[in-house]
Amino acid sequence: MVEAIDLYKDYKIGKVLFPALRGINMKINNGEFTAIAGPSGSGKTTLLNIIGCLDVPSKGKVLIDGTDVNELGSKEKASLRKNQIGFVFQTFNLIPVLTAYENVEIPLILLDVVQAKRREKIVALLEEVGLGEYVDRRPNEMSGGQQQRVAIARALVKDPSMVLADEPTANLDSTTAKEILALMQELNGKHGTTFIFSTHDQLVMDYSRRTVSLRDGRIVDDKTKSRDPG
Amino acid sequence: MKLVNIAWRNVFRHTRRTIITAAAISVGLSSMIFMNTMMNGADKMASRNIIDFETSHIEIFAAGYYREEGVFPLDTILENPALVADKIKEVPGIKGITPRVKFQASISNGIDELPVLGMGVDIENENRIFRIDESVVAGNYLKREGDVLIGENLASDMELEVGSYLTIITKDKNGTYNAYDLTVSGIISTGHPLFDRNMAIMPITQAQDLLALGTGVTELCIRANNENKLEPLKERMSQALGSDYEVLTWKEMNAAIFEISGFKRAGQFMIALVVVIIAAVGIVNTMLMAVMERIPEIGTLKAMGFSNTGIVKMFIYEGGIIGIFGSLLGCLLGFLISLYLVHVGLDFSRVFENMDIVYPMEFIIKGEIDYVNLLYVFLFGVFVSILVTLWPVRRATKLEAVDALRHV
Repeated sequence: MVEAIDLYKDYKIGKVLFPALRGINMKINNGEFTAIAGPSGSGKTTLLNIIGCLDVPSKGKVLIDGTDVNELGSKEKASLRKNQIGFVFQTFNLIPVLTAYENVEIPLILLDVVQAKRREKIVALLEEVGLGEYVDRRPNEMSGGQQQRVAIARALVKDPSMVLADEPTANLDSTTAKEILALMQELNGKHGTTFIFSTHDQLVMDYSRRTVSLRDGRIVDDKTKSRDPG
Repeated sequence: MKLVNIAWRNVFRHTRRTIITAAAISVGLSSMIFMNTMMNGADKMASRNIIDFETSHIEIFAAGYYREEGVFPLDTILENPALVADKIKEVPGIKGITPRVKFQASISNGIDELPVLGMGVDIENENRIFRIDESVVAGNYLKREGDVLIGENLASDMELEVGSYLTIITKDKNGTYNAYDLTVSGIISTGHPLFDRNMAIMPITQAQDLLALGTGVTELCIRANNENKLEPLKERMSQALGSDYEVLTWKEMNAAIFEISGFKRAGQFMIALVVVIIAAVGIVNTMLMAVMERIPEIGTLKAMGFSNTGIVKMFIYEGGIIGIFGSLLGCLLGFLISLYLVHVGLDFSRVFENMDIVYPMEFIIKGEIDYVNLLYVFLFGVFVSILVTLWPVRRATKLEAVDALRHV
């Protein structure tokens, strides 16, 4: 479970203090499929970065399964990210010199998984995200949608407890975006992995079970649908 | 898949950039090798010329002679060379001994007169120690009294040929002027400027006669069995001879030349170092570009839990791969240039034609390859490449993942 308690984050731009988050309180249970929605500048990415231990709050704390991540050192945070958190980025962020297979392999190498086991997992997962035939392709030989599928496979391959996706569909056309969302939803259902993503795209909100809306760094709405859409 | 593999692929992400950087390294290193080969070759030639024509390995003088060697004093000579030879005949390590008489003189062709260094040599023994007989390019080596050998440059300056007469004029031991007419029996070309430009060589008895020395000689030249063990041999000879004599190795007598050589080496090394520094700046630039353009990638890797160590390693491998590539290329290039220098050489005759050079060597300098140096240069190239990579990589490690990800 992820819990944000009274989170504040200020950015200093020049001499001006810019408040990105102004008192966020929320809980996200394991296995949820949650969208953090809001216009640009509302603090979505900042919130995700803090939850993902990439950034620190100015005030308040984040508990992941009861652990206050503020109290972790940078190595422990890196270890937490390595073991428990998968990231999916708006710009896919695949390593361009590596093939789809090798990109997905990196998190497992970091976890010292033996080669045979790695191969088994990667092949199965790439198959699952519909890229069984693209294992040896480099990012520049794939479409945006295919690249994002690789990125999702990369995030999921280590069986993380949560996947944080920052505007995962922003660089995709609507048809592809739907496919990606459906895929994430399917994986969420199948693996029970918590998915938290930021978006300003209505389509994403349509797919999510819960939508937390932010505006100017504050939660203005938190809706949970009674049953799965679509 | 290992970090090295990732680094390897990153290096070839920009093939052209990698090739240019490696080429810069290779130019720097090959110029270092080139200069080393040249200097080794020049030193070797100088050493050979000194040993084969000028001093042999070790020389014996009467005590006090060498201090005034420049003026060739005839009052501190070896009055009884046979006695000296007898004293050292039991000393192990001596291959041969020959006496020489050196004196200041001038020669005249009837019209012009030039100062020269006169030298009397033991016709038979001389060739067991030195190689003057092998360098006769016209006419014959000395056969009898009345013969004289002169260098090719002196011959052309004085318009002398084989069979020409010349007059040699000098002051004898008592300070009286004396002159002999001699016949040019042969012309020599040794590659040693002193011998080719300024020397008149005659039978030792002729010189002794001319200078009123009796059986005296100015020096005894010793050829050693092992030229790498001259110091102990010199010690043994000094002990056998006592304090009336002075024993000097060829290195001691030519310390100035090796000092010049040392300065030249230092100077040329500095030039080569500047070239290497320029190449190193190239690597820094390449790695800096590599780091800058990959900031979001570095952020992604950090977000996935990559440690700074892993990222530093990846870039060091990249610098190392470029370094190995460039150094291999540089050593190969340097080796090929060196091969050319060894077999063909560089012709400096135009440059040195009218220069009064003190370096005892020919105008065509042939190289000498030092394979150990080649290995050092390679390791130096790789080491420098890795070392200069550290600075750009520091930038990569200082970045926080969140800032790196935000970087566009």
